[in-house]
Amino acid sequence: MHATIQKPLEEILDTLKKGEKVFVVGCSNCAAKCHSGGEEETKFMAQRLKREGVAVTGWAAPPNGGSLCKLSIAEKMLNEDNAEATKKADSFLVLSCGQGIHTVIDATEGGYVHPGCDTTFGGETVSEDYITEFCSLCGECIVETTGGLCPLTLCPKGLLNGPCGGSKNGKCEVDSDQDCGWQLIYERLKQIGKLDSLYEYREPKNYAKWSKPRSIQIESNRATFKSLAGMHTVEQK
Amino acid sequence: MSKLKERLMKKEFVVTSEIGPPKGVNIDGPMEDAEIFKDSVTAVNVTDNQSAVMRIGSLAMCHLLKQKGIEPVYQVVTRDRNRIALQSDLLSAWVLGIENVLCLTGDHSSLGDHQECKTVYDLDSVQLVKTVTGLNEGHDLAGNELDGKPDFFHGAVVTPEYDPVELQIIKMKKKIDAGAQFFQTQAVYDVKAFENFMSKINDFNVPVMAGIVVLKSAGMAKYMNENVAGVFVPDDIIEEMAATPKQDRKKKAAEISARIVRELKPLCQGIHIMPLGWDDTVPDIIGQSDLA
Repeated sequence: MHATIQKPLEEILDTLKKGEKVFVVGCSNCAAKCHSGGEEETKFMAQRLKREGVAVTGWAAPPNGGSLCKLSIAEKMLNEDNAEATKKADSFLVLSCGQGIHTVIDATEGGYVHPGCDTTFGGETVSEDYITEFCSLCGECIVETTGGLCPLTLCPKGLLNGPCGGSKNGKCEVDSDQDCGWQLIYERLKQIGKLDSLYEYREPKNYAKWSKPRSIQIESNRATFKSLAGMHTVEQK
Repeated sequence: MSKLKERLMKKEFVVTSEIGPPKGVNIDGPMEDAEIFKDSVTAVNVTDNQSAVMRIGSLAMCHLLKQKGIEPVYQVVTRDRNRIALQSDLLSAWVLGIENVLCLTGDHSSLGDHQECKTVYDLDSVQLVKTVTGLNEGHDLAGNELDGKPDFFHGAVVTPEYDPVELQIIKMKKKIDAGAQFFQTQAVYDVKAFENFMSKINDFNVPVMAGIVVLKSAGMAKYMNENVAGVFVPDDIIEEMAATPKQDRKKKAAEISARIVRELKPLCQGIHIMPLGWDDTVPDIIGQSDLA
């Protein structure tokens, strides 16, 4: 899931020119779960903008929990289901993650977009009201040796060879309410009887796999990951 | 060969201290500090943007110390520079005659004065130690051969009173395997706890220099106990400091430090004094420590 948080209304209003006609777009998947751009928040944003005197031509969020970041969903929603209202609009206020924002540009063949949310991280929906990150989307998963816990994500320094000297009472030096990631890894490895793996030297990460922008090309029985580390193809045989 | 290396290899008891570069280009303060204790110590560490606060670089200050005939220990943290910059700065240090390097991770930038910066940590401290070992062997981190190789005496740090200490010991072992030739520790006040730690690393066979942070007041001790990882000032020392009138505190601080040094001496291979501005206490501490 791509976690998002809505920008303050004043900030959004500042981006709109006087008389600009706006269509508000939401996402019924991640942004809905984050209460930053689901159907309810999108409708409410349209109402709030109107109240502030903004010319809102309409609003929409994909049906059936659909993701805005899937181009075919965005195209149908904007160009078919809401064609009349979107045609009248000068711009789109997008309440979704950055992927959804770009999907709206693609779907509208270059439409003008305003980001209505800040995209914060890729996370686990731990409960209906709590989302937190366990993965930094680095392109090279290393958690086999750390009991499934990612040191790049759970340690603010992303240290790969064990904790720094900065944690106190199992809490991190950057925030005394936050668990030290390496303390969690240590306890986890102890629990699964794999403490030995802490002694193994971990090479510096290949950050070329974390280059931007990256892509995945999907074919029937194989997929290719492209980054500055090169093309990496895996076949399902 | 650096004097630090020579003396540690000869199993002599070695004393080092440190200076912190200033924010701004007025270097009079730290240079005067270094002059104060240069005859009492083997080498002087220069911290690298300590506490994640932007200052003059460690490399430039090490060079200036060297010009004054003072042997520097170049502290390098991985927080601010990627592997290209780190290796480049290390080679630069070598051609300026800097031989001792201390490899650290560095306080997180969120604790410093540029909290919105892009924090780097391309390498961790173990990987930095291994990188220096590689440069000494004549190759960079990508495996390319160097035209002329350095011969750094490089060390790392360990926190003896970390809980759980096993995590520090494992990391210390990794640093040794990566090529670390000496260790400096976080501040030690509790000699018994330090002795216990040293008994656990007996077979590591690497010189360890215990850290001495000059205690300025009872308040500072309480603050460190609550906020600084791996630092525990025992109650009797706090009470001793609290009972000392303000004007006598510097004298008392030197006395307490020297007492700890005398007790530590049989347990380790040296001490690293961090005076935190009370630089004039360094000769006093050494004078009272029965090191001769």
